[in-house]
Amino acid sequence: MPMKALKDALSFADLPASERIAFAVFFIFCLIFPWATKGSFAQAVMIQFLIFCLYGLGWNLIGGYGGQVALGQAKNVGMSAYTVALFMVWWDVPFWLSTPLGVIIATVESFILGYFLFRLKGHYFAIATICVSLVWQQLFVNWELIGGARGVELPLKETPNFVYMQFTSPIYYHYFAFVLVMAAILFMNWFRKSKLGYQLRAISSNEAVAESLGINIHWVKVKAYCITGVFAGMGGAFYAVYYNYIDPFSVMHLELSIMIALMTMIGGAGSMWGPIIGAMILIPMDRYLGAWLGAIGITGVDFMIYAFMVMIIAAYEPRGIWGIIEKARRKP
Amino acid sequence: MEMLLSATISGLLMGMLFALVALGLAIIFGVMNIVNFAHGEFLMVGMYAAFLTATGLSIEPLLTLPVSVTICFILGIGSYYLLVRYLLRGPMLAQLLGTFGLMIFIRYLAMAIFGPDYKTLEYGLLIGKSIKWGPVVLSYSKLGTAVISVMAFGVIYWMMNRTRLGMALKATALDVEAAGYMGINTEKMRGLAWGLGGATVGIAGALLTNFYYVFPTVGMLFVMIAFATVALGGFGSIKGAFIAGLIMGLIIDIGGTYVGPQFKFALIYLTFFLVIIFRPQGLFGW
Repeated sequence: MPMKALKDALSFADLPASERIAFAVFFIFCLIFPWATKGSFAQAVMIQFLIFCLYGLGWNLIGGYGGQVALGQAKNVGMSAYTVALFMVWWDVPFWLSTPLGVIIATVESFILGYFLFRLKGHYFAIATICVSLVWQQLFVNWELIGGARGVELPLKETPNFVYMQFTSPIYYHYFAFVLVMAAILFMNWFRKSKLGYQLRAISSNEAVAESLGINIHWVKVKAYCITGVFAGMGGAFYAVYYNYIDPFSVMHLELSIMIALMTMIGGAGSMWGPIIGAMILIPMDRYLGAWLGAIGITGVDFMIYAFMVMIIAAYEPRGIWGIIEKARRKP
Repeated sequence: MEMLLSATISGLLMGMLFALVALGLAIIFGVMNIVNFAHGEFLMVGMYAAFLTATGLSIEPLLTLPVSVTICFILGIGSYYLLVRYLLRGPMLAQLLGTFGLMIFIRYLAMAIFGPDYKTLEYGLLIGKSIKWGPVVLSYSKLGTAVISVMAFGVIYWMMNRTRLGMALKATALDVEAAGYMGINTEKMRGLAWGLGGATVGIAGALLTNFYYVFPTVGMLFVMIAFATVALGGFGSIKGAFIAGLIMGLIIDIGGTYVGPQFKFALIYLTFFLVIIFRPQGLFGW
């Protein structure tokens, strides 16, 4: 059974050749990126892109495949990031010990929340997840023990340190994030062929039918939601050590949850490569266009373009850019 | 005791405004089962419309009500015909994130045009005055807001229950196809629901300008309160929205007084969370 899962995860044989080539190009691009570019800004953008890929791949599970609009990824990111940061500040716990703990906390929170919230359907569920995110956000902003609105700064070690994941060069972070994203892609590759994947897609397309086929809807949704929590938790832990500083506005904020969902939507929710395409559009646009327009005194135009794209895609091609690609491919 | 009394009264007054903000959301959800995430941004547009008209023409802020109502009405109808109509064809994910896109678009458009500054009105019939009534101090602006909110609520309630238009809206809400067979132009009714949703929140915006800061992200806070209100009252229920609005006002003011002002909004979301777990259909929902 585990062997088969591994084989499924590593095998891309069922994908068309064009997709395999695109994936190979993406892989090589990420692999050589730190060596091909010298700009530290470009490298920072790249790492942010990888973090968002991770968030997006996770959200795609519940939001894309499962069709459940959960807008609370940020709180899982935040919980894990805070665990890593605070454990280091308080007890000097190394990254490799606090990360599993942070991920477990994020996952348990997802489980408890999912258990209750998945009684709700559709819009009710979406709004409930927003409300829960806002409770956490307010709590973290006002909780003085964990830094409140000021956030937490991770103490720097004197020498670069693998145990605490502190390096002077962003290359190490790049490869660590890259490994995480690749692991996530392999997991998704397994997932889309797994029983859980089929069950989740069945629920997304028609809940009543899925239930009549004997799928335990509630349990499947909760499971998927927990996996989403794991992804977000990993992203959050990495975020904490990469930026060495976290505050509720950067890791706990509802805005982040919304960004993740919209990004996946633009790329193509419920498709393997959708979140990556979405991140490829969102992050460079946000960083370059935002920085460039901000420099000449215009703020927010990048968000407007982005929101406009979301509206167009939601209205005309709900399956996102990936949907457009598939449509073009089927109509030669 | 005096603290409780004064918190209760101010909570009830604010609650009437919350109810008015939630009303539009309830109408839209009731008629077509779609959540308008951009509702708070409509409120923001209404506030800016009132603020800019009042300061630009230097007229009494209350007289700007028709302006912001008209602008928000057009905004609502425009959103329906240009965007929401197309969203309804897609899956729920597209419906939710489509209005999310609208929300972000309007918010950052306002940010680009007006800048992120907080603005306040400095003059007006109601501004800066208050009456003392025993231990309770009531500001005119909140009192006036509450009175006008209740009036607006009454008009909409009457319209929904006593006029042909309201009947047609209700019929569309209950069963679109059957309503269509009865000769109701359901497309128009849906557009009208969005227009009404916009107009009511436009009233709320113009009133809110009298005692609250005007800034591009003001919508988020109020829309979240409105979501909680609508969920508490039952999605699509107008009566529920009113009563839940009052409850929300009480929670904010009494909770804010006794638990701590920084947690007052968390209390609202917590209430919402508990309601949704124990009574998902809300107090008056079905």
